Amino acid sequence: MRIVLAYKWTCDPEEATVRADGTVDWSRAKPGLSAYDPVAIELARQCADAVGAELIGVTAGDAGVAAPIAAKAALGRGLDRVVIVEDGSLADAGRSELAAVLAEAIRHIGDVDLVVTGDSSVDVAAKMVPTVLAGELGWPAVAEVTSITGQAGALRVERAIPGGVQVLEISGPAVLAAAADAAAPRVPGMKDLLAAAKKPVELLELAALKISPPDAVMTVTGRARPERKARAGQLIDTADPAKAAAELVTALRQAGAL
Amino acid sequence: MDFELTDEQQLIRDAVREFAETEVTPIAAELDRDHRFPYELMPKLAEMNLMGMPYPEKEGGAGADYVSYVIAVEEISRACASTGIIVSAHTSLATWPIFKFGTEAQKDRYLADMASGRRLGAFALTEPGAGTDAAAGTATATLHADGYALNGSKMFITNAPYADVYVVFAKTDPERGARGMSAFIVEKDTPGFSVGEAEHKLGIRGSSTPPVYFADCRIPKEALLGGEGDGFKIAMQTLDGGRIGVSAQALGIAQAALDASIAYAKERVQFGKPIANLQAIQWMIADMALEVDAARLLVYRAASCVDNGRPYSTEGAMAKLFASEAATRVAGKAIQIHGGYGYTESYPVERNYRDAKITELYEGTSEVQRMVIARSALR
Repeated sequence: MRIVLAYKWTCDPEEATVRADGTVDWSRAKPGLSAYDPVAIELARQCADAVGAELIGVTAGDAGVAAPIAAKAALGRGLDRVVIVEDGSLADAGRSELAAVLAEAIRHIGDVDLVVTGDSSVDVAAKMVPTVLAGELGWPAVAEVTSITGQAGALRVERAIPGGVQVLEISGPAVLAAAADAAAPRVPGMKDLLAAAKKPVELLELAALKISPPDAVMTVTGRARPERKARAGQLIDTADPAKAAAELVTALRQAGAL
Repeated sequence: MDFELTDEQQLIRDAVREFAETEVTPIAAELDRDHRFPYELMPKLAEMNLMGMPYPEKEGGAGADYVSYVIAVEEISRACASTGIIVSAHTSLATWPIFKFGTEAQKDRYLADMASGRRLGAFALTEPGAGTDAAAGTATATLHADGYALNGSKMFITNAPYADVYVVFAKTDPERGARGMSAFIVEKDTPGFSVGEAEHKLGIRGSSTPPVYFADCRIPKEALLGGEGDGFKIAMQTLDGGRIGVSAQALGIAQAALDASIAYAKERVQFGKPIANLQAIQWMIADMALEVDAARLLVYRAASCVDNGRPYSTEGAMAKLFASEAATRVAGKAIQIHGGYGYTESYPVERNYRDAKITELYEGTSEVQRMVIARSALR
């Protein structure tokens, strides 16, 4: 069985600042594995260990994604090897383009039975890549996955749904997006980190991949910050909770919020 | 000159920081308050390969370089200085002399278990009447037909009674002073070996430092580490490395105090604005950041000397002297920035302040470090 883990090397938006014109300054943000990817790696690693599968990381992006430290950080978390598509044009790639590149890299690897991704990327958080990637591959996509067991062609997947758990049986290859809390990611040990440099890293040229041009291109044409609204500063001053609630409801209705 | 950490060193720093913030920080205040040894952390530290970082993988270690090791001690100490010295004393003081001076049989028996964290180590040199003047120790090792008999007492023994293996220094020829001192490996369950009452300390209260006693404690001849009379040399060379570990511990304490001060200065509002806007606070923060950075450069430089096979006695002494005194100054300023709150257990800086002081004392006082540095400068 061959499992692919699609990960993202990016910056934490908490370390970014928003300029006056609404654009984001990432220059002081430290790059790293996207926050939910270690969860996905842990979930996939558990599945791979249970069935003796190979776990291959796949990622795509601009120059930073192919930096040795980026590959080592991912490999140190438990991947067996990584395949990296690096191209400057991917710096501003949209979700569809990125998914198309990842799909082609997965076809390049070949014989892949399962793709696991994180819940969302920490920088964009669009939650689109797993679904679009599945569409590119012609496979089913499942989000909010909390457990993966079984074998290739006979996977048993659990996903969180409002008020319970949905259990799915999947007979063919699939793209599974791990729930944000699907597994507690292990902190890599010192030996894991030092061994990462010895694991295989395959760099793919974007030009070498046969990627169809997207049918429609989405371009960001503007950014605006929401206008700050003046606060009412209205104080409800009573020790009676019922009276306070009634006053709050009245005030919210008067403000048009209810 | 390259001031950048390698990929591995950066990843190790990030991983140890994540581990420390997840596993160590949540219990650090409680360990201090209750004077409690963090026994629950020992298997976790071992699983992270943090108990034998600079030793080769084939010896049970992580196979990391010395810079990575001091980064790990720094990050652990940033969360809890007690846990930092437990790791440092085990790695630098107990495991290193066995790695460096042990016979193949001794390495086979102890090294893999210690470097992997399965067995905890301790270093027993100091005596009630022999601290800085270590050669004045009166513990003796008398040769008999079937081995040595140890008699005497040692004090301030970090990791006792939890340690499994003790590197013990005793006089095989008391008439010869320092040259009559030898080193031995003593296992915890050896008859005649016992551990006294825990010391009640100002700081690093999670680290246990009781006295240990030897009463006709019989050990085999094979327990001799190095040759007879090599003990003082082994002790001094071991402490040269140990001081780099302590300097990393001090650096971690100082960084913790600086981090807490920056966070507090940004959130504490006085005169209608965060106190970080006040120049009096800014100047203290600036001085603290400067001292932490200077300490880090000295600590990493000393560790780099070890990695590059260069002498590191003077560099280690400089790192320990500066980082330890800087830690005390930085933690003192941290309390000043926190005002009255800093004097309470509500904030970690009072613990940082108490923890920092010991780094000026153990594994050679500041005065000893100045002696080492002056001796080198005036050579």
